[in-house]
Amino acid sequence: MDPQSTIVLGKAVGAGLAMIGAAGGGIGIGLSVGGAVMAMGRNPDHTPTIQTNMILGVAFAEAVAIYALVVSLIILFVLS
Amino acid sequence: MNSFWNGKRRYVALLLFLAGVFVALVVPPVIPFIQLPGENLPAGYDIPFTDIRITNTLVAAVIVWILLLLFVVYIARRRPSDGSEVPPGGFYNMFEALYEGLMGFIGGIAGGPHFRLIFNMFMTIFLIVLLSNWMSLVPGIDTVGFIHAHTKEKFDPATEEYKVITTDGFEIYQGFLGISYVNGQCDWISPEDEAAADATALARAETAALAAQQSQLEADAYQRYQAAHGGHGDETHADEASDDHGDDHATETDASDAMAMARQDVLNARTAEKQARRDRGCYTGVGLSSWEDGYEQAEKDGKKAPIPLHPDPKSEDAKRVPWVVLPWVRVASTDLNMTLTLAIIAVVMVQYVGVKALGIGYFTKFFNFSTLFKSPLGGIDVAVGLLELIGDFAKVLSFSFRLLGAMFAGAILLFVMSFLVPILPWPFFILEFFVGAIQALVFALLTAIFMQLATISHHHDDDHDHADAH
Repeated sequence: MDPQSTIVLGKAVGAGLAMIGAAGGGIGIGLSVGGAVMAMGRNPDHTPTIQTNMILGVAFAEAVAIYALVVSLIILFVLS
Repeated sequence: MNSFWNGKRRYVALLLFLAGVFVALVVPPVIPFIQLPGENLPAGYDIPFTDIRITNTLVAAVIVWILLLLFVVYIARRRPSDGSEVPPGGFYNMFEALYEGLMGFIGGIAGGPHFRLIFNMFMTIFLIVLLSNWMSLVPGIDTVGFIHAHTKEKFDPATEEYKVITTDGFEIYQGFLGISYVNGQCDWISPEDEAAADATALARAETAALAAQQSQLEADAYQRYQAAHGGHGDETHADEASDDHGDDHATETDASDAMAMARQDVLNARTAEKQARRDRGCYTGVGLSSWEDGYEQAEKDGKKAPIPLHPDPKSEDAKRVPWVVLPWVRVASTDLNMTLTLAIIAVVMVQYVGVKALGIGYFTKFFNFSTLFKSPLGGIDVAVGLLELIGDFAKVLSFSFRLLGAMFAGAILLFVMSFLVPILPWPFFILEFFVGAIQALVFALLTAIFMQLATISHHHDDDHDHADAH
């Protein structure tokens, strides 16, 4: 295999492995939204507060997935 | 107007869809070129009288600022001056509804003595990020621009300057007034490198010549040894022995011949290498100081002429190098410079609000030595304070990479979907519409929440407990 193909192979595999981190973000978002929906179902009066906190939690959980995405984007498009 | 359009809008949509199909058939989409850092506009578009290059994301950022300024002027002029409660309607009315909604929202989170400051910061960041995110939905942005050779910069250790080359090793000559030329398929070699390669070739020729001389002399010595000691052998003939003296003379010339041949071999290889580069149209190196020299030399030799950096995409020239589109405008939030700047501003403003609310005592949040010798667990407070300090630096990273990641991924999604399904990419534009709004809201909301947290004293609960105890 020539060096160029090796580099492409390494980049593709590395970017794919980096995206495993997105799974954690997905689980986190699922848990927080699930909890928030259950809470809103129990006491709908507190929906605005719960929604705000839920969006915040989702943003934090999503941030982790986006870090993984940034790492894989850097591997793909910045490393040469 | 309304009655005219009743029931006819579906045909407009159908017409647009058919136009999309037609355009996708006539102008087939190309695989986009994806680059994370903002691209520099070509030479000639830099800030006058400086070497500062303008990136296409900076163009988008400036457009956002101008739009925001116009927006502020418009809102200020449309605002009823008599304080009447009747809204003037239209765009102003929509903005007022949005403004009031967000004001209530932030009031619920950060309502307090510093509400105005926090809300102003929130709204400013929200509008800037929202506008720059939604720019990715405007046709032509990210897609229309210069067609140019796909370039990168290579450091030249000899001159300690960066040279622009294409990613395939084509050299680009920066010509007059930003008109640049790509030469043929060359490895980039500076005149100094070329001279150094010549010197190396000469040295290698000398080494090869010496080696050849040595081996020739050894061979001769072995032959003479054979001749001298093999004399007793049956196969030795008288006539060979009589030629002995003549043979000795011949070996001298053999050795110098071998030296010259070995030297010439190496030098010939070097000349052939240079000629091969020249045949490919590479006129860099010795004796050529500019692309004009190379151009003239190429014409004289009847070789491939240099290619203009911005050629007609359909010409033969364009097939010789990898061409990419350099968009005039690229969404500002897909550049780390923009998001990092906003993140630093946000975090610095968080510290400002904290100092404004709590005075110099705000910094005991980070350097908390007050309980170090009072309580057995005081060391934990110190560690927690240092963690808070690290956490504030991490906030800059998380702010900037969250926005950058979300918007850059969105831009790639739009590129790829426009390439894969050129007639129906608009569901993804709707997705991007929401992602842009949510990311802007999250950025601004987190700033507001961190500001609110910074205004709360850490020792408030402790003081309260003490007051209760006394």
